[in-house]
Amino acid sequence: MTHAIEIKNLTHYYSKGTVQQVAAIDNVSLTIEKGELVGIIGHTGSGKSTLISHFNGLLKPDSGQVLVDGVDIHKDKETLRNTRFKVGLCFQYPEYQLFEETVFKDIAFGPKNMKLSDNEVKERVMKAAAFAGVKGEHLNKSPFDLSGGEKRRAAIAGVLAMEPQIVIFDEPAAGLDPKGRKDLVELIANYRRQTGSTVIIVSHSMEDIASMADRVIVMNNASVAMQGTVDEVYSRGDELRSMGLNVPEITEIFSRLRARGIDVPANIYTVADGVEAIKNLTSGRCSE
Amino acid sequence: MSEKIIEFNNVSFVYDIDDEEDQAQSVPALFGIDLEINKGEFVAVLGHNGSGKSTLAKLCNAIYEPTSGSVTVKGIQATDEDKADEIRRIVGMVFQNPDNQIVATIVEDDVAFGPENLGVEPKEIRRRVDEALKAVNMYDLRHREPYKLSGGQKQRVAIAGVIAMQTECIVLDEPTAMLDPMGRAEVMQTVKRLNKELGITVVLVTHFMDEAVQADRVVVMDSGKIVMQGTPREIFSQAEALRSYGLDVPQSTDLCHLLGIQKSVLTVDECVDEIAALLGGAQ
Repeated sequence: MTHAIEIKNLTHYYSKGTVQQVAAIDNVSLTIEKGELVGIIGHTGSGKSTLISHFNGLLKPDSGQVLVDGVDIHKDKETLRNTRFKVGLCFQYPEYQLFEETVFKDIAFGPKNMKLSDNEVKERVMKAAAFAGVKGEHLNKSPFDLSGGEKRRAAIAGVLAMEPQIVIFDEPAAGLDPKGRKDLVELIANYRRQTGSTVIIVSHSMEDIASMADRVIVMNNASVAMQGTVDEVYSRGDELRSMGLNVPEITEIFSRLRARGIDVPANIYTVADGVEAIKNLTSGRCSE
Repeated sequence: MSEKIIEFNNVSFVYDIDDEEDQAQSVPALFGIDLEINKGEFVAVLGHNGSGKSTLAKLCNAIYEPTSGSVTVKGIQATDEDKADEIRRIVGMVFQNPDNQIVATIVEDDVAFGPENLGVEPKEIRRRVDEALKAVNMYDLRHREPYKLSGGQKQRVAIAGVIAMQTECIVLDEPTAMLDPMGRAEVMQTVKRLNKELGITVVLVTHFMDEAVQADRVVVMDSGKIVMQGTPREIFSQAEALRSYGLDVPQSTDLCHLLGIQKSVLTVDECVDEIAALLGGAQ
């Protein structure tokens, strides 16, 4: 089976050929499987954004290869163009990139570029708007009349309207309030459940990644420092901290309890799991 | 009675926006805000997106003028155009995006920008810049180019730029929203140290509950009004009310609450103590 994305020995330099040349991505190889939800974490400047900009060909590797569905995306112009539709990239603060007169037109921009018929475009817009939670009455408004959270949803709808097989979200919840953050995490989980798309999320929120990801990739100094399930990665708290990251507060609580010699599970990454673990311990005792 | 540094007296604020047909539209953002910030206090302001937090922050140092009511900074009325500079010398602002507030190509030049504009003597500027960079733990990196710094380091340079103007109060509008976990921790440590050691008044607008826990007082905004106010312990014991405003409680608080622990818990340490006690019998 082919991988959704395969990165082979990818290297990318900034300021190439000058004395300031620095590798932003240094000989990275990795695969993303079809239908997977992968979280990418790493401190600022670790290479996350440079890496994902290669996934849909926005950046070209200085050496190495990017394969989508088994095909080198830089094979020819046509392949590269198709990759942009196949792999949707939702940037950080996407609401700053809204530009059309109406929300409808903004969401329709991608599908129109795909040369779909007017009817198909309309269908896609309505579907994407529903997915992203853009209210019907907002479609004919100027995007600039919406609130920050509503603008973010409109921008996300614009990416989803292209119905990409792979969607990449760069810090989708940055700057949102707790409810907005929770809603967005749910939106992404729903989208993936219903469409079976491959989803890649770049985030600084260890909590969000813990609650969603099948697999976690940790970037550090332009390389992949760790990868594995949430369990495999989050159990290495000291290493994560040494890379400028941390573990969720709930995980910290359980590791401190263990440090006191209390026999609680170590692999707790969400509050719900934590409640269950403690309840199991207390109810077990009652029945003794 | 403690000395007040900022006073909001029945402040309302309306944004005037021109729509497509150039029709003036009025969008009210704040309604009858009464708020006092005491000298030396650390106040966190919470509220969902669009609740009016940032508008409130921008009224603190005369970026905006109130539509009605009054904002007074150390007795100076913010409505007086001529007084804006004076107010900004007392209250400094730090914004969300670290890349939008750095102007110079060398860290120490950036910090010197504020005092230079105030016409401070070069010798005094040198002293203030060094002191400010030491206060935010960036002195060793003073000759660096800002673009090579991490997000947390850039935000600390921005904070140094504010304290080099010898402001008595810093207003930070979601300063950690774009930072990685370590950057967030660095900025919070810096803010707390400036507050505790230098006595600088801090107003912190944030979406992170674990940051608000560290304040002396928490102000919760909703639909342009102040809806809750109190110590972090008072505020975070009301999980349902906070959630109804689109907010949340720290994970430590949430866990203990869901386990039926009655005592109010705010921090990891407190949470670990309570759960150890709950499981205590067997240990």
